[in-house]
Amino acid sequence: MASLPDPVVRLVAALGRLPGIGPRSAERLALHLVQADPGLVRDLSAVMNFARERIKTCSVCGSLTEIEPCDLCVSTSRDPTLLCVVERALDVISLEKSGTFKGRYHVLGGKLSPLNGVGPEDLRIGELEKRAAASEVREVILALGTDVEGDATGHYLASRLVGCNVRVTRIAHGLPAGSGLEFADELTLSRALEGRREL
Amino acid sequence: MHLARLRLRDFRNYAKLDAEFVPGFHLFLGRNAQGKTNILEAIYLLATLRSFRGVGGGQMIRHGAKGYFAGGTVVGAGEHEIKAYWSPHERQLTLNARPVRKLSEYLGTLRAVVFCTEDLQLVKGAPRIRRRFLDLLLAQTRPGYLSLLLRYTQALRSRNALLKQSVADDAQLDGFTRGLVELGNELMSARRELVPRISPLARLAHRRVSQDSEDLKLEYRPCIKADFLLELRQSRGRERVLRTTLLGPHRDDVELMLDDRAAAQFTSEGQKRTIALALKMAQAEYLSGIHGTPPVLLIDDVMGELDAQRRAGLVPLLQQAHRAGGQVFMTCTEENWPRELGREIIRWEVNSGSLTAVAPGAVAPIPKMPGQGAQGE
Ligand SMILES: Nc1ncnc2c1ncn2[C@@H]1O[C@H](COP(=O)(O)OP(=O)(O)OP(=O)(O)O)[C@@H](O)[C@H]1O
Ligand SMILES: [Mg+2]
Ligand SMILES: [Zn+2]
Repeated sequence: MASLPDPVVRLVAALGRLPGIGPRSAERLALHLVQADPGLVRDLSAVMNFARERIKTCSVCGSLTEIEPCDLCVSTSRDPTLLCVVERALDVISLEKSGTFKGRYHVLGGKLSPLNGVGPEDLRIGELEKRAAASEVREVILALGTDVEGDATGHYLASRLVGCNVRVTRIAHGLPAGSGLEFADELTLSRALEGRREL
Repeated sequence: MHLARLRLRDFRNYAKLDAEFVPGFHLFLGRNAQGKTNILEAIYLLATLRSFRGVGGGQMIRHGAKGYFAGGTVVGAGEHEIKAYWSPHERQLTLNARPVRKLSEYLGTLRAVVFCTEDLQLVKGAPRIRRRFLDLLLAQTRPGYLSLLLRYTQALRSRNALLKQSVADDAQLDGFTRGLVELGNELMSARRELVPRISPLARLAHRRVSQDSEDLKLEYRPCIKADFLLELRQSRGRERVLRTTLLGPHRDDVELMLDDRAAAQFTSEGQKRTIALALKMAQAEYLSGIHGTPPVLLIDDVMGELDAQRRAGLVPLLQQAHRAGGQVFMTCTEENWPRELGREIIRWEVNSGSLTAVAPGAVAPIPKMPGQGAQGE
C-alpha cells in the first residue's frame, strides 16, 4: 500500500500534538487540509498566527488578554478586596458570563496532580500568596473543580494562605461532583458564589 | 430482563456470531475448547465491561484480528441496544446508538451474575477478591457508588504518589488526605450496610445447597476501627518508611464464618465450593430483590463439580430464575448436563466457534458426512 507523502505525515504529527486530537482525527484533518481550497488554508494559518501573537496571559491574574495588565485587573469598578481563584483562564470567562462576581481573579494554571507530576511549583501559587498578602485583599474565594484534585488543591491553598490575613472561602457545592466549572450553567455558578463558605 | 440478541465479531474464537435468545434456560453443549465459556464471557462483558476471566481487552480479540466487536439487545423495561468495539487503538461503546460517556450511566443495562470455577477464590483467595464482590454488588445496586469508588481510588493513588516522592510535602499530603477520608468513610458505610443484608441470603442459599445444618455468616471486617483520619495520622511514621497508604477501605475484608469458625481455614474443598456457590446465589437474589427482576445467570462448568445432592440444591434457583422471566446460560460437556431439568432446557451445540440450536427432543446432532447432503431430495 502506498504511504502518505512526507508533508502530510508531518502535518498529521503536528495536529496530533493538539489536545483532544487522536491519531485518527489528526489524519482526517490533515487530509482535509491538503485537499482544501488554498485560500482557506492560508486564512486559517493567518488567523492562527494573528491570534497567537496578540494574546498574552496577564502577568497579574493569568487570564487571556491583548493588553497588559488585563481589563479585569485595571478596571476601577471591580472590588479589589475580593480575589477569586480558578484553575484555568476559561473559568474566568464562565464566571464572567454568570455576571455575579465583581471582584478580581487569579488563574492558577491547573491543579495539584501528583499522578501527572503537577506540584505546587508548577502552579501560580507564589503569585497568589503575594497578591493575597497585599493590604486591600480581604477574601480569597476558591472556585476550583469539585473532583479529587480540585478539592485537594483547595485545602492546600487554604493552608498556604494561613499567614496572609485573609478570609479563605470556597464556592458552595451546588456543582456536580467530580467536574470542572465549565459544566456548570450560569445560574448554578452564581448560586455557588453566593453560597460560599469558610474553609 | 433478558438478552434477546448477541452479536460477536472477531471475539475469541468467534469470527462471526449472530444469535437470538428467548427468555428461559439455555444450555451450551460441546466438547472442550469449542467456545462455550467464550460466549458467557461475551455476555458478562456486555453487562460489566470486563472479562470474568480477569484479562484485559487485548486477549479477547480473535488471533490475527485488529479488534473485537460485541453487541447485544437487552429486553427489560424497554429495549436497549449495546455496541462495544475494542482495539488497542480505539474503544467505542454505545447504548441505543449514543456514545456512553459515564460508566455509571451504562452499568445496569444488563445485569448478570456469573458462576465459575474461579469463584472458589472468594473463599480461599485474598481479601481483594471479597472486596471486589462487595464493590460489584454495590455498584449494581447503589447509585453513585461506582463514582465514589473511582474517586477514592484516585485520592489513594495520588496520595501514594506523594508518599513516594523523595521530599515529603506534608501540606500537599494533607490536601489529599481530606478527600481520602471523606470518600473512604462513605465507602465504609455503604459496605457496612450491605454485608448484614447479604449475609442471611447467603445463609439460606447455603442451607439449600448443602442440606445440612451449618450456618454461613458474612462479617464485615473494616481496616479502620473507629476514626479514619486519626488512625491515618497515627500511621504517618510507618507510611513514610513504606511509602504507601497503609490504612483505609482498600484494605477491608469480609470474613466468611461457618458455624462461627473462619471458613477459609476450617473447611474442606467441597465445603468451600458450596460456600462460593451460596455467595453467588445470594448476589443473584439480592439483585432480584432490589431491581424486581432476576439478573441473567451465567453458569460455567459448575455442574460437573457438584455432587448430586448439591446439584439438587442449585436446580430450584435456576428454575426460579427462568420462570420469573429471566434467563440462564449454562455451559456443560455432554456427560454432565442437568438432565433433571429435562424439557425446560433450550439446547445449543457449540462447535469451534459456531453455535447451532438443537431441536427439542433431538439427541446429540449427527455430524454430516461428505456426499450425504443430496440424498433423498
Ligand atoms: N483470542 C482468541 N482468538 C482465537 N481463539 C481463541 C482466543 N482465545 C481463546 N481462543 C480459543 O477458544 C477456545 C476456548 O474456548 P472456551 O474457553 O470457550 O472453551 P470451552 O468450550 O468453554 O471449553 P471447556 O469445555 O474446556 O471449558 C480455544 O480453542 C482457544 O484456542
Ligand atoms: Mg469452558
Ligand atoms: Zn489580569
